[in-house]
Amino acid sequence: MKGTFRGGVHPSHKSKDPTKGVKTREYVSDTVKIIMNMNIGAPAKPCVKKGDQVRVGQVIGEAQGFMSVPVHASVSGTVLAVEPIPYLTEAPSMAITIQNDFKDEWVELHPLGDVEHVDPKLVIPAIQNAGICGMGGACFPTHVKLSLKPDQKCDTIIVNGAECETHLTADHRLMLENSKRIVDGLRAVMRALDVKNGVIAIEDNKADAIAAMKEASFGRQGVTVKSLRTKYPQGGEKQLIEAITGRQVPSGGLPIQVNVVVLNVGTCAAIADAIIDGKPLISRITTITGCVRNPSNLRLRIGTLVEDLIGECGGFSEEAGKIVFGGAMTGLPIPNTAVPIAKATNGVVVYNKHDGASVEEGPCIRCGKCVSVCPIGLNPFQIKAAADADDLEKCKALHVMDCILCGSCSFDCPSRRWLTASFKNAKQKITLQAKKAAAAQQGGTAK
Amino acid sequence: MSLILSSAPHIRTHNTTTRLMGNVLIALAPCVAAGVYFFGLRAALVLAVSTASAVLAEFVWQKLAHQKVRISDLSAAVTGLLIGLIVSPTVPWWTVMIGSFFAIIVVKQLFGGVGDNFLNPALAARAVLLASWPTRLTSHPAVGFSADAVSAATPLASMKGISLNDLLLGHVGGAIGETCKIAILVGLAYLLITRTISWRIPVFTVASAFLFNLVVSGSLNDSLTCILSGGLLFGAVFMATDYATSPMQSYAQMIYSVLIGIITVVIRKWGVYPEGVTYAILIANIVAPLLDRFIPQKIYGVIGKKKEVKA
Repeated sequence: MKGTFRGGVHPSHKSKDPTKGVKTREYVSDTVKIIMNMNIGAPAKPCVKKGDQVRVGQVIGEAQGFMSVPVHASVSGTVLAVEPIPYLTEAPSMAITIQNDFKDEWVELHPLGDVEHVDPKLVIPAIQNAGICGMGGACFPTHVKLSLKPDQKCDTIIVNGAECETHLTADHRLMLENSKRIVDGLRAVMRALDVKNGVIAIEDNKADAIAAMKEASFGRQGVTVKSLRTKYPQGGEKQLIEAITGRQVPSGGLPIQVNVVVLNVGTCAAIADAIIDGKPLISRITTITGCVRNPSNLRLRIGTLVEDLIGECGGFSEEAGKIVFGGAMTGLPIPNTAVPIAKATNGVVVYNKHDGASVEEGPCIRCGKCVSVCPIGLNPFQIKAAADADDLEKCKALHVMDCILCGSCSFDCPSRRWLTASFKNAKQKITLQAKKAAAAQQGGTAK
Repeated sequence: MSLILSSAPHIRTHNTTTRLMGNVLIALAPCVAAGVYFFGLRAALVLAVSTASAVLAEFVWQKLAHQKVRISDLSAAVTGLLIGLIVSPTVPWWTVMIGSFFAIIVVKQLFGGVGDNFLNPALAARAVLLASWPTRLTSHPAVGFSADAVSAATPLASMKGISLNDLLLGHVGGAIGETCKIAILVGLAYLLITRTISWRIPVFTVASAFLFNLVVSGSLNDSLTCILSGGLLFGAVFMATDYATSPMQSYAQMIYSVLIGIITVVIRKWGVYPEGVTYAILIANIVAPLLDRFIPQKIYGVIGKKKEVKA
């Protein structure tokens, strides 16, 4: 039986065609700009200065506490600048620019050896030291996810190879080209957490990836491959957990509350690299597609600038209107092409002026399509009315905080209403409000 | 280079409001064709007047109210065409016109326009016309004669002697679009294939009317006649499924449909009117928002917690 969930939409997957059959190639640029706040949590602190010589894999940004991971040089060469640059976030991000000397000189590595024999206690620290955070998009520090509290128990690790987003084929290519490493990473984590059950979950439109992963996991203890029905957002953490285990993560809770940890395929491969080779996370596969002459999957060093990778793909094929990091359903638009890719940048999609144009919102005709496609079971049209009226209390009562911002409602709305955007806004306001309230209360008790 | 910064999602479905309303118009085409075939050019005139006056009413209202003119979304055209299809072909053109004006201006625009009306505009208009000119609206011509020549009583009032076959093909008197059930079913198929509507409301409405009729009459033949006669099938497919006035959640949709089915049979069996679909749907329209509000939703990860929403 194929795993699935209720609701959801079927955006066309034709957007994957130009890149899904093309082998990944490596591209290394002249300069890289490595930002310090790639992960959710505390940004890393730069520990090199202008003019320093760095080697590949050298720590250039130190982790700041538990909710943080270090940042490593992705090329060898000279530090050109340590300065804040505008990024996708509201505030500028601190970034370290390195001029590549193309010598590819690595720091001394400390491999831990075979994942089946490594001391399980060494796995999680190695993951943190390698600077690994969720490569599926959220960039949550992986070691935090894997550090269970004494009352928490994990019985299943799910490897997310659904890749339900449009345009992206990076995970698909990784599963074909590096299947064994994904299984190795999963096994390392299974051993670290003493978990017997590891499931690699893939949408059934990627039969070749399912076959490759089945072959790679043959004979590996506790590892199974499960195919999922192709439907968006199948790769959403909550939907994936329900499809595989039948469990629902409690509202406002984390997967570990239902004894599950979900890792992206890219994250698993990075974990294997960290254990087997001792290599930190300095590169990733990114899908570059849309209006570029030569759509490709590139293995890029972290910090590669968008203008460089577009050049590598033959330049724009049409005048660019919008450039988005990620797929069409949840991707973030970038302000200019001087922006570098980060650890979680799974795709760079270029839209022309026409397709990238913002759509005009019409009146709600109450067709109810948003209600029927919502994978969480919310009433998007009602939340939108409350959000437009800035009634945050009502938004909360309507469970806006359970919204996963998958974009299904906006996608299916015949009136082109900006449902998801207004929910994102409302969620941010509510979070800010809660933070302020907490701060005020703390101030009150301090007095 | 300046890039567009707009929020995700960056792609939208091909279905627009105009396209969905266009689908409804296409789905109504077989009914229009059957109506004109059975009742002649007189029916075509009624449909043309009803549709044109609804669009005109919307245009004039939106101009006068300094609103964006949205007649291109085709919702007014759908309302107008529906009004024409649920009246007798013998109705004078000015009656239809009044119906369309009332539907668009009073029922739809005064309550906020598309999506904000709480009653089905076409049915509300029919109810008003029915109350104002009862005989004009319900005197149906016998099929096969020129429209004005013979006026028979409404088919439901003199149901005896008509075969189920005739009912299915539409070889009976009645409103322009309601008689040929085959045409309605073709329209339903189109609406389902294009995913314009879901199967729930039409299926539950017709099934509940059939079952309830079976329980009260005990006759299979009578129950089949019940669902094949009058405006039940047309109402279940084209009226009860109106977006703005039907519930959005699946359980609420089921209860709403069953309500329509039962009220229709109650009015037909025990009411003074021979036909009850119009009022059944209008009553269900009023209940629809309550159903949406009080039937608890199943939200992912929210277990045993009641939905608490203050109006």
